[in-house]
Amino acid sequence: MPTDTRLELFRLMLLQRTFEERTWALYRQGRISGSMYDGLGQEAVAAAAGLALEDGDVVAPLNRELATHFARGVTVADAFRNFLGRGDGPTFGRDGNMHFGVPARGVFPLVSMLGNLCPVVVGAALAFKRRGEPHVALTFLGEGAFSVGDVHEGLNLAGVWQVPAVFILQSNGYSYSTPSSAQMVNTHLAERIQGGWSIPAVRVDGTDALVAFDAIKAAVERARAGEGPQAVECVTLRGHGHAAHDDASYVPAELRASFAGRDPIERLAAEIGPGAEVVRVAVVEEISAALAEAEASPAPDPAAMERGIYASPL
Amino acid sequence: MRSDERVFLLGEDIGHYGGAFGVTAGLFEEFGAHRVMDTPIVEEGFVGAAIGAAWQGERPVVELQFADFASCPFDMIVTVAAKTHWRSGIAVPIVIRAPNGGGVRGGPFHASSPEGWFVGVPGLKVVCPGTIEDAYGLLRSAIEDDDPVLFFEHKALYRKLKGSKPAEETRTPLGRARVVRSGSDATVITYGAGVELALGLEHDVEILDLRTLWPFDHEAVLESVGRTSRALVLQEPARSSGVAGHILALLASEGFELLDAPPVVLAPPDTPVPFAPELEDAYLPSARTLNAAIEDLLAY
Repeated sequence: MPTDTRLELFRLMLLQRTFEERTWALYRQGRISGSMYDGLGQEAVAAAAGLALEDGDVVAPLNRELATHFARGVTVADAFRNFLGRGDGPTFGRDGNMHFGVPARGVFPLVSMLGNLCPVVVGAALAFKRRGEPHVALTFLGEGAFSVGDVHEGLNLAGVWQVPAVFILQSNGYSYSTPSSAQMVNTHLAERIQGGWSIPAVRVDGTDALVAFDAIKAAVERARAGEGPQAVECVTLRGHGHAAHDDASYVPAELRASFAGRDPIERLAAEIGPGAEVVRVAVVEEISAALAEAEASPAPDPAAMERGIYASPL
Repeated sequence: MRSDERVFLLGEDIGHYGGAFGVTAGLFEEFGAHRVMDTPIVEEGFVGAAIGAAWQGERPVVELQFADFASCPFDMIVTVAAKTHWRSGIAVPIVIRAPNGGGVRGGPFHASSPEGWFVGVPGLKVVCPGTIEDAYGLLRSAIEDDDPVLFFEHKALYRKLKGSKPAEETRTPLGRARVVRSGSDATVITYGAGVELALGLEHDVEILDLRTLWPFDHEAVLESVGRTSRALVLQEPARSSGVAGHILALLASEGFELLDAPPVVLAPPDTPVPFAPELEDAYLPSARTLNAAIEDLLAY
């Protein structure tokens, strides 16, 4: 893998981690409303998936994939604007935290009903196939979403239509407080997706950014080459609770201990060596500057609330 | 489909078979499998896929075999299609065609009029043609529109209405009602199969075809009732569903001083659509019940 790919993966992961540490603090200070979700421990998957895509590809990230947004060119300031509910942010203050997309960057906004976006990206991939365009549509599915009917429908359509869709299975062990063992009998998602929907799937260590990137990149390129839908299961452990209000005390200590030493950022930092420090300094500066920029943005105007309900108002 | 390559169809048995009601007959032969796509039984899946394709610039038209099945992709419609433009600026130009209505002994799962589920949902447009010209003109407008449109076609009208194809350039504007027949003693506010039923009335009543149920044409309702001073809303959804409550709310808040009598709703009772002919005939509005309701309204 080229050195600059490693450094970019590292930078993207660190951007997400540092951004989320900052928003977590802002949330505790009451400066961010609503709730606060993060992807602690899962940054490698988000960064790898985002970086594996090319211009013209599209993606629908979920709630632990900020690095995917950044990889696609969404600015850190725009992400902050959304968390802060600013009027000039990606959702104009109408939606919060990581519920945002940036149309110009090919990023579809997250909806909270997990599983919904599975058929949506299959449709985007269908559009590419219909037009003969060499693009790929990618989304993520956690264990919770895997129980949802939409996911079955979307995976089935992807297979029947043989569209260039890539599914990243986020196996982080939990759906809110429910362990995967209470969510399904067979928790090996790659096995299920390959056996059940005949979609080629591999399972990799999602805490190893280089391994995750290689697997996802290969899947994306197979889809692009016309080999139909692809899936990659990335095994991680959710570092925090479902959201800031959840202390995750239900996660057994032994399970936590089994992930000791597997922080994806520190793993890659060790491989990169001294160059990592330069990136750390730059990321902290970028985050601070972007937050200052976002905080200077205007609040949304209640008088404009009804604008944009329709693309063609009647 | 001839004029816009972005338009393609998704649905169950719409290809070679031509659709459960034959509304896509001949299209598979003309346009082929990549523009008339048969799907597995996955309403949530193919409505979602339509949204994704629309996001990427296509103009998908999906068909639900029966409007009752709108319960299956409900989440995709109200969660994703309805809210996406408002919160992101991404337009979702999809059309969902769905045969609604009773009179064909379809029972609780094949004869419903679920358009009311979507009336009042910001971001959606709900359209119900009542004439051949509007079936064509509204569908062309819906396909050319940049928003998600639910297009309910009354299945009894598929056979009842007969006429030639309107001119290619025919467009019926969305959001505009039409006075089908002028009259002075009362206004019958209706749509879909209600238009045919109301045209059978021998009274001097005005018939207003809403055509678009959401967002509906406030001005046309108030203008017509301003002329006639009496209003009857005729609809096929059960009385507590549908658009009737919205019309009455409009008349109460903005048309109160126009009225010489309390507005009337003629609609089925609050039950699912029953199967047996004795039950369904009693359930649906009919010439007899409409006539009686108008007599009462005029006598007030």
